[in-house]
Amino acid sequence: MTLLDFEHLGVRLGERPILRDVTLSVRAGEAVGLVGESGSGKSMTVKSVVRLLPDGATVDGSVRFEGIDVHAMSPAELRRFRSRDVAMVFQDPRATVNPVRTVGDFLTEVLRDQGIGRTEATRRAAGLLSEVGVGDAERRLSQRPYELSGGLLQRVVIAAALLTEPKLILADEPTTALDVTTQEEVVAILNEQRHRRSAALLFITHDLELAAAVCDRIAVMYAGEVVEILPAGQLHAGARHPYTRALLESRPGAVPPGERLRTVPGVPQSALTAPAGCVFADRCPLATDGCRDKRPVLLPIGAGLAACHLVREDS
Amino acid sequence: MSTPLLEIRDLRKVFKDFVAVDRVSFTVPAGGSLAVVGESGSGKTTCARIVTGLERATSGSVLLDGRAGLGRRQRASVVQMVFQDPYLSLDRRQTVRDCLDEVLAHHDRARDRRGRAARIAELLDLVGLGQGLGTALPRHLSGGQRQRVAIARALAANPKLLVLDEAVAALDVSIQAQILNLLVDARAATGVAYLFITHDLSVVRHVCEDVVVMCRGRVVESGPVATVLDTPSDEYTRRLIASVPRPGWTPARAVTRG
Repeated sequence: MTLLDFEHLGVRLGERPILRDVTLSVRAGEAVGLVGESGSGKSMTVKSVVRLLPDGATVDGSVRFEGIDVHAMSPAELRRFRSRDVAMVFQDPRATVNPVRTVGDFLTEVLRDQGIGRTEATRRAAGLLSEVGVGDAERRLSQRPYELSGGLLQRVVIAAALLTEPKLILADEPTTALDVTTQEEVVAILNEQRHRRSAALLFITHDLELAAAVCDRIAVMYAGEVVEILPAGQLHAGARHPYTRALLESRPGAVPPGERLRTVPGVPQSALTAPAGCVFADRCPLATDGCRDKRPVLLPIGAGLAACHLVREDS
Repeated sequence: MSTPLLEIRDLRKVFKDFVAVDRVSFTVPAGGSLAVVGESGSGKTTCARIVTGLERATSGSVLLDGRAGLGRRQRASVVQMVFQDPYLSLDRRQTVRDCLDEVLAHHDRARDRRGRAARIAELLDLVGLGQGLGTALPRHLSGGQRQRVAIARALAANPKLLVLDEAVAALDVSIQAQILNLLVDARAATGVAYLFITHDLSVVRHVCEDVVVMCRGRVVESGPVATVLDTPSDEYTRRLIASVPRPGWTPARAVTRG
């Protein structure tokens, strides 16, 4: 069953496009990774789910959650949706947790808002902290954020996200600020808890390998568009879009040491500066004149979907 | 054996009651490339800052070209540094050309204005920036272009050692690849040695010959990159390598790891 459905979603700020024609769906319990470089629109895509768009943004198309258009919800419906159905985990836990309140206050706030008593809320919070690997939960609940390390605090944020039993977790680079060993731990916890509760996950990262390890499907974004969607297991063998291939090949581990890395000329585009035809045309090593004139749309190819004129021609 | 370009002996740095660097020793040969890897709080950046003179060691010694206690100008003509964030490390009111000219006027005194202009053109070429960008201000440049300027500025003094503190960490993957290729080329062209501070093991494999692994202020393992990364002997090094996402990798919690 489709839980979340982006249909031709476009976001503009005044005349400036930020997202163009994003079409993507997330099934109940499924994990989808959104990968791409800075300015590709991955954060904006996730923010559009909870209507956290910048002031003055105009939206075309729709984002539907269980069939209901998020952008048509009344304020009361939106509030309910944000507090019960969906949870967010951001990159920097220190910017998420109120620095002058205790960890316990932070964790129990939503439950108390839903009318659950203080004792019961605290009991649930403590139980969940232990589940996400935070030892000595009682003591942690009375501590303030500055007394916890970044890795520990991100686990608190994940616990807070899970507390209301959401159907969908939105995670925007949740481990980018963490050390790699801590990242493994936090990602493993997120993964385990998500499976245990059958929550769906929309996971933003710039790390393709991380996305492949955590997600069922991967959507690659570039310049405000989704250019390729493919099963995570097919990332290396099945990637067809020249941009996805370029991303995979430009990682330092992709070639033997001593060999030159394959690079993509130019700099990543945003939706604003992207060319009229295919958004990747001016950096693509394979681009033809046709690519510059006509926009490709996402069409099935192999195990996934790709928006490229060229991959269809050779198959 | 010839004198190493950089030799650190028994380095120790204490901030109040916190030991950031504890009995650290390593060497970089002339023209070599040494990576110092570790997680936050491992002391790797403190080591880099002591080498460049931005921080004073509590005890231990830093020998550059076999000499200790170099003055600021002398030290700067041997060691230069490239920082992580190209948005913070450049003067936002200085054009690229002025930025390089300032360093040349300071360190390359034999050159007159014309000589410096020629050298600037050479440096821009070396880091792959078009001559037209000489008049640009940092705000007109992308992150990757700014990092090229930072590298050109560091190379302008003709140093024997470049300290790169997470110099590619803030860049997008496709830009990071361009800068890594540039670093490989610049070293081949100038013979400069690298002290590469990073947390990214795949970057280490690509640009370095030797590696030092630090954990909580101490060196836990060191040796040639291939040896250390393929057959790590220390428990911490093994954990560090195991936690890097790669094809077929499944994240595991430390308690459940076999």
